[in-house]
Parts: sequence; C-alpha cells; structure tokens
Amino acid sequence: METLALFLIAAAGGHFAARALGVPSTPLLLVAGFVLGATGLDAGALVQETLVLGVTALLFIAGVELDPRRPQRQLGAAVRVGVGQFLALAALGLGAASLLGWDPLSAAYLGLALSASSTLVVVRILQRRHEMFEPFGRLTVGVLLVQDLLLIALVPVVDRMTDGTAAVALGLAGTAALVVAAWAASRWVSPLLLRLERDGEALLLGVLLQLAAFLLATALLDLPLAVGAFLAGVSLARFPVSAVVRPLLTSLGDFFTALFFTALGVLIGLPTPDEAIQALALVALLLVATPILVTLVGEAAGLAARPAVEAGLLLAQASELSLVVGLLGLERGILSESAFTVLALVTALTMLLTPIVATDRVTVWLLRFHPFRNPGGHAGDLPRRAILLLGAGSTGMPLLAALRRAGRDVIVIDDDPAVLGRAAERGAVVVRGDASSPETLATVADVTLDVVVSTLRRTHDNRRVLAAFPNVPVLVRVFDEQEARWVQAEGGIPVLTSDAAAEAFLDWLAGWDAGERPPGRQSSVSPSTT
Amino acid sequence: MSPDALLAELGWVIAAAAVALLATRPLRLPPVLVYVAAGLVLGPVTGVIHPSESTHLIGEVGIALLLFLVGLELSPAAIRDVGRNALVIGGVQVAVCTALGALAGHLFGYTVLEALLLGLAVAFSSTVVVVKLLGRLGQLTAPHGRLSVGILLVQDVVVAIVLTLMAGLGSAGNLSTGAVLEGVGRAFGGLAVLVGVAALAARLVLPPLVRWMARAQDAVLVWSLTWCFVFIVAAELLGLSVELGAFMAGLTLAPTVVHGELRRRVQPLADLFLAIFFVVLGAELQPGAAFESLPTVLALIGLVLVAKPLVLGVLSRWAGRLDPRTSTLTASTLGQMSEFSFILAAAAVAAGLVADELVSIIGLAGVVTIGISAALVQSQATLWRRWGPARRAAHDGTSEAGDGDRPARLDHTVVVGMNSLGRRLVEALVARGERVVAVDTDPFKLEGLESETLQGSTDHWSVLTDACVPEARLVVSALRIEDANSLLAYRCCNLGVPVGVHAFDQSVRADLEALGVDYLMDSKREGARRLRDSLIELEVLDG
Repeated sequence: METLALFLIAAAGGHFAARALGVPSTPLLLVAGFVLGATGLDAGALVQETLVLGVTALLFIAGVELDPRRPQRQLGAAVRVGVGQFLALAALGLGAASLLGWDPLSAAYLGLALSASSTLVVVRILQRRHEMFEPFGRLTVGVLLVQDLLLIALVPVVDRMTDGTAAVALGLAGTAALVVAAWAASRWVSPLLLRLERDGEALLLGVLLQLAAFLLATALLDLPLAVGAFLAGVSLARFPVSAVVRPLLTSLGDFFTALFFTALGVLIGLPTPDEAIQALALVALLLVATPILVTLVGEAAGLAARPAVEAGLLLAQASELSLVVGLLGLERGILSESAFTVLALVTALTMLLTPIVATDRVTVWLLRFHPFRNPGGHAGDLPRRAILLLGAGSTGMPLLAALRRAGRDVIVIDDDPAVLGRAAERGAVVVRGDASSPETLATVADVTLDVVVSTLRRTHDNRRVLAAFPNVPVLVRVFDEQEARWVQAEGGIPVLTSDAAAEAFLDWLAGWDAGERPPGRQSSVSPSTT
Repeated sequence: MSPDALLAELGWVIAAAAVALLATRPLRLPPVLVYVAAGLVLGPVTGVIHPSESTHLIGEVGIALLLFLVGLELSPAAIRDVGRNALVIGGVQVAVCTALGALAGHLFGYTVLEALLLGLAVAFSSTVVVVKLLGRLGQLTAPHGRLSVGILLVQDVVVAIVLTLMAGLGSAGNLSTGAVLEGVGRAFGGLAVLVGVAALAARLVLPPLVRWMARAQDAVLVWSLTWCFVFIVAAELLGLSVELGAFMAGLTLAPTVVHGELRRRVQPLADLFLAIFFVVLGAELQPGAAFESLPTVLALIGLVLVAKPLVLGVLSRWAGRLDPRTSTLTASTLGQMSEFSFILAAAAVAAGLVADELVSIIGLAGVVTIGISAALVQSQATLWRRWGPARRAAHDGTSEAGDGDRPARLDHTVVVGMNSLGRRLVEALVARGERVVAVDTDPFKLEGLESETLQGSTDHWSVLTDACVPEARLVVSALRIEDANSLLAYRCCNLGVPVGVHAFDQSVRADLEALGVDYLMDSKREGARRLRDSLIELEVLDG
C-alpha cells in the first residue's frame, strides 16, 4: 500500500509539472519515476506487475481509440503518409542503430520502436487546439491509426525473428486470425454491450470479459499478450460502443497509465552519459527526419504545403508503443537494459518537445525554406477594386456566393486547390497560397480593397492579417467572445459565429414551439405543451 | 510470482466475475453475492486460483476506494446530522451484540478469547456490502442510508481499537488493563490527529488544489487518488484502518466543486477492484471445516440476522427517536457480518490466540448472512411499502431518495458545453422564462449563470440522469468535441428526446444527421450570414 502510495504521489507530481510547463504528462511521469527510483526505493515485484498490467491497459485503450471512421475523407492520404513514414523511419532507425554500434536484432527492435508516433500526445494536442476535425487533423489521426496497426502487426514478427521463417509465418497467421476475430467481435459481439449501458458495473465487467477472452486466445496462439490486448480494444472501437465504454476505460486508463510510466521510470533509473548521447542523436534524427518525410509524402498525397508541415511537426515523436516494443525486447533478452534506457529517453524527450516544436510559429518559419512553396500565383487579371476573402470554407463559400450575387468583385486566397476551383466557378479571382503570409498578401497590394474578410481560424494568422491591412476594415470571423475582444483590441471587426448560431437556433425553437414539427425526425414529445 | 501469472490470475477472477454477473442478470441478484459465489467456484470447488498477495492488495485498494466514494457522497453537514445518533446507537449496539455473541460462544464451550472473537464477529456489519448495495439502490443519502453509514463508521473505529489491541496481545499474550487502555487511547488519539489533519488540509491545501484540478481533467483521477492514499498511509501510521483514512480523504473532498466528477471517475475503478476483492474472498473460504461446527455457525447466523437487527431497531426507535420506517430499514440494512469479522479472526489465528477453525466458521456464517441480507436490503423498501404501517407517508414521502419515482425536473432544456455559444443559449432561454440546466466539465465555466448548473461530462450516463435528460423537453449541445456530441445525440435519439447539436464543421454533419438529430447549429454557415449583415452595415453591400 505504501509503495503504491509513493507511485501515485510521484505520478501526481509528474502531472503537476506537466500542467505547469504545458507539456504532455507522459514524459514527466517517466521523470517522476526516475526521481522515485533514484531515492533507492525498493519496490520489488510491484514494478514488474505494474508494468504488465499497465501495458495491457494502455494497449487495450489505444485499441479502443482506433475508430476507422475518424479520418473520414483523409483515409486514403493517411494510409499513404502512414505507411511511408513508418517504412522510412523504420529504415532510418535501423541504420542509426547500426551506426551507433547496436547488434542487428536490437537495431530491428529500435527501428520498429521509432517508426510510429504517439497517439496519446498528438490526439491530446489536436483536441486542445480544436483541430481534430480540420483536414490535417483528420489526416494526422489517420496516420496514427495506420502506424499503430502496422506496429502491432509487426510485433510478432520481431518477436519470433530468431526462431526461423516458419515461426514468423505462424506468428503472422495467428495475428491475422486475431484481427479477423476482432473484426467479427466488433460486428456481432460488442453491440451486445450496449444493452448494459445503464449499468456501469456490468458494462465494465462485460468489456473486461472481452479483453480476457482475447488475452486467452493470444496466449493459446503463443503471441505477445500486447497484441491481444490491442486487438481486444479494436473490437470495441466502433461507434457507439466505443463512445459508451470510453468513460469507464478512461478511469482505468488514467490510473494504469500513471502507474505504468512511473514504474517504467523507476525501472530505468538515471541514464549514463553514453546513453544520453545516443538518445540525443536519435532525438535529433526523429525531429529532423519526420517533418521532412511527412511533408514530402503528404504533398505527394495531395496536401497543401502548410498542413503537410504541420502534420510533420506533430508526428515527430516516438510512441508509447515504442516503450511496449522495447519492454518486449527487454523481456526476451534481446535489448540490453542500456538500449532500453536509450529508447525510453528518446521517447520521453521527443514527447516533451512536441508541444514546443509543433506550433504555428515554427510552421511558418519552416515554410520559408519550403522549395516549392506557392508564390501566390493567380489565374486571370486582378480587378482594380475588390473585396478580399481569406479562406473559402463553409463560411467563406456562402458569403462569396452572396457577394457575387450582389455583383461585387471578390478575390479569394486559400491554399486548397479544390476549394479554389469551386471559388473560381462562382466567379472569384483566386490566389493560391497561405492566406496569412505577407508574401501572398503582397499579391493584392495594387488592388483597392473595400474590405477584408478573414475566415482564418488561428489567432496567429489573424494577427498577421490585421497587421498587413492597417487602413482597410478587416472583418474577422471568430467563435468565442474572448477572441472577439482580442480582435477588437487589435483594430479588427469581430463577427461572432457563436452569436449567429444561437440566434438561428432560437428562431428555429420559436417556430417549433409555435407548432411546427422539428425538421428531419418525427418526435413523439410535444414541447409546445409547456 | 511472475507478472504474467498475476495477469492470468486476474484474468480468471475477472472473467469469472463477469460471466457470473452477466449470466445471473435476469435474476437481479446482488453483485456481491454473485462475486463470492464465483470465487467459491474458482477456489474451493475447482482450485483454479490460489489468490496471491498482489490480488489481495488490489482488493484492499478496492475497499479503500469504496470508502473514499462514501466520503465523497456525504457532506460534513450530513455527518453532523446523524453523528450523535450513530455514535449512541452504534456504540451500544456493538457492546450488546458482542456480549450476546460471546455468551453464545461460551455456551458452545469456547475459550474466553474465542467467545469474545465470535461476539465481535456478530457485532460488526459490512461497510463494503451495505454501501455498495445502498449506492446501487440510490439510498445512500436517504435517512436510513446516512444513519447506517454513520453506525458502520462507528463500528470501524471500534475495529481499529480492537486491531490495535490485538497487535499488543500478540506480543504480550495477556489482556491487562494497561494494554487495553493503551490500545483505546492510541486509537482515539490517532483518530483525533487524523481528523485534525484532515480539517487543516481541507482549509489550507485543498482550495488551490481543487481550483487546479477542475481545469486539469486528465490529472483529476490521479490527484484525487493520491490525496486518498496519503490519508490511507497517514491512517496506517496512526494505527487506524485503511478504510477510515480513505473515508476521511473522501469527506474532505465532498464539499468541493469537483466531487461529482471525482465520484464518476473513481466509480469504475472501485467497481472493478471490489469485484476482485469479493471473488478472492469467495476463493479463500473453506466451507468444509465449518460444516463440522454447524451448530455454532447456525447460532451465529441467527444472532446476526435476528438479534442484531432487533437491537438496532429498538435502539434507533427509542434511543434515537427515529420514525418507524428509518428505524426498521436501518436495522434490516445492517443485518450481516463484516469482512472485518474475517480479518479479525484471521489476525487472531495468526497471533495464536484462537483455534484455526474459527476462521472457517466465521467465514461461512459471514457469507450466508451477507447473501441473505443483500437480498433483504434490495427489496426492503418495497417490503416496507407493502407491509409497513400505513401512516409512514406522513413522515417522509418526497424527501426519500432512491425509491421515489418522480423525477426532480420535467420539461426543462439541457444545454451542454458552456463556451460562448452555450452561454449565449442559456442566457436567451432563461430570458424566455424556460427552465434550463447548464452542463459543463469545468465548474468555473458554470459560474455566473442564472440557470441550474451541473458539473460533469455527458459521456457518463449518470450525468444524463442527474440532468434528468430522459424527462427533458430538449437537449442542446454547444460542444466542439465530435465524440461527445455523437454520443449525446445517439443517446437522446434513443430516448426520444429532441436534440440540437453544434455542427462546428462540415465533416461532422453527416454522422449527426444519420443519428437523427433534430437541429444542427451550423455556426460556420450562420457566420456567413452574419458577415453579410456586417458588410451591409459597413455599407460595402446594399441591403
């Protein structure tokens, strides 16, 4: 009980530091574990047991997050980017490990470990920035999904590498069988859990029964249990099952994740200088190689320059699954403790650096070195006098239509060719480029602008736009009142979409109360009686 | 034991618990009973598992979490409310029941210490079982629920004293007055220190911590568990039980804004660990040995099921001056033995004070009484309604949580997500004179609203029931979180409650429409309209 309490106190400290520094908690939990281990704590078997339970819980929950519908239309691009990054990074990791003098087997483990990015870290950042639903957000989530799957599929391969081709083939076949089982369970078994929705206790046990069944099957197939735990999660990943079970699993996940990473820190202990140098070299490799790779593959898959760079920066870290792969290597006696320490350090450091590296500022700065950066070219002549519309998404397009109906000349700047095509059809003069960069905006320097309308989402971008047009009224679309105050203070005119949406909703509600049926669905409830 | 063996053991335990629970669901048996039965199959019957130290630790954490939850449910005001009654009733009841049990033990020819142990085993009721049952039935905050928990806590303090005494006895081997006094003094001293520390911590450390926790959703669980474990370790250092420490930790957090969210987050962990605890408990029973002393077992069962409730009922009615309903329900709620009875017996056997067979005797009597009382507690409210005196309606009625069928709200509007859109909607709806419940995970975003507020995530089913969503006339979500919106829409559509959802991006529209949402708030498209109006205002466009 006391040791458990110490683990929790360390984990709480890690969470606190993470919050104070504004970085993900995972690496700081590891650090808290280092510190706890350095005090000479004799945790005994608890560390090992926590690690096994933690890995199982972590992978199970990672599996539940693997909803194939998340990337939506970006799935194709995500597969290409995911596979590309995975293979290239695995090769680079393999090469780097060989250069550092690791034996081939350890190098293979390292290659596999470094090839995926962290779902835990990236999804949290995307959620906090409200970017999950942006095209590049969906792409990034899709990439993570593809990588996780690839990694799990390859775990049995590296696990059996020393046992010959037949063993590897059997391992792959077993994994394939489990994947099929997961798919079948997600269709026919998991939906039964929905009947338990209102009884949290029964639901939780039902979910864990499914996990136990998968673990048993994995043990019978003699595969690493991590694979079974992950696929058990995948069998629950479809909506609405995933959404219903998530709150229960979040509690277990928070608890076991905190204990797992802390225990891992205790296990590793403080690195030697040599280990630290190797780790730093690998960190540098990941930070440089990932953005370049993702940008290249991403643009080939049809992304514009900026989202490609953003995705690249976001994906530049090792994954929590890297640690799982490392633990497996350690357990099999293939990875030395020193090699595992290096791997854990790389993971912790890259995760720590992600929120610092993946920012608008760094993206914009990197774009300056982008060789094929769009120069802001435009089709057709620019009008002498026009309205400038920055971004033509779901706000910009209907506005463009209204402006054109009123007979106004409109210049649209956007970096998505498909969007520009549609804008051109509606009669706008289109400029392709990053709508907030001064160079792109310079394209329209000779045009007399009546007004600038910005539908850009990022504060950083709008700041640059407001600075570029000090003498023209600039309307800025914002969602929240805080942003609106900020825009006003910077000299712009905020237009609150939340306000507009609320007004429209209240109109609908008034109509409904007056006796109109709700559109879409016939409701059995009659709200007009109140 | 290797880590993989632990995983295998837990796998069996959880699988057995799950299969048993799901298979017996139509029978609506109390889960506690089902788990113990599953444990009996795994342990004594088939011998699949031999519980390890680690599973015991997990079970112990489960009990601690349960008491933490109890503390979270109760506010200090509620404790003060029942405090005096619980102290008097609990204290006298423990004394009387111990005496009765010891007398029976003496008649069966046991030694003084053994008879005393049997008496104590009769006196204590099970905090875990009662809290779990009442919590499930929603009766924890009802008058009889609060009084029962109060009495159980008084019993816990007595347990702490007895355990402290036993530790002294094990080494000294005799029952001198000095040792008794020292044990009692230590237990009460420890309790005083713990309460003092808790009060101080609640005043000084907690306010900034809670403010911080409310904003750090990922860390809420770990932080609150840390808080809980610090209290547990402190209680252990002071010679008190783990349960008391966890309870105090929960109690300090009960008046804070995060308590609802904490409860929902700790609940799944407590459910899981307690299931493990009960299965392990069943697996360790040795019914064989107990059958040889069947008369003793039957006498214990009789005392626990009949004499103890009688004592409690009489005390509540006459010493506590409580109404017949509360007295009767409290008495029947506490008619079982405690897991402490086993723990005490095991400790006494380990110290060489009593014969080995006592553990099995107390174990069997315990399981039987827990089983019967669980069934009784589950149906006692109904039984009372049918067979109790008719005049009870004058006493309680609507104040009774749990068995009242009338929802707290009706035909109200639930607005989820207090961003600019959500707040705007709440203000407008309140201005129109509607009854509104505003929901958000961040308690500080709920400040300054004129409507009713509820803190929590709608991902939890219990938040929906707390907000009376099934009775609502309309649910609106302003959230910009795809998964939360989809789940809310799915649930509302299943319930047949009209729902409007914020479609903050074109890519989320299709899924929401497929779910059958009544209205989509398309902030981006409405934004276009607002922009056009602004352009007209700027005289760039003609109206």
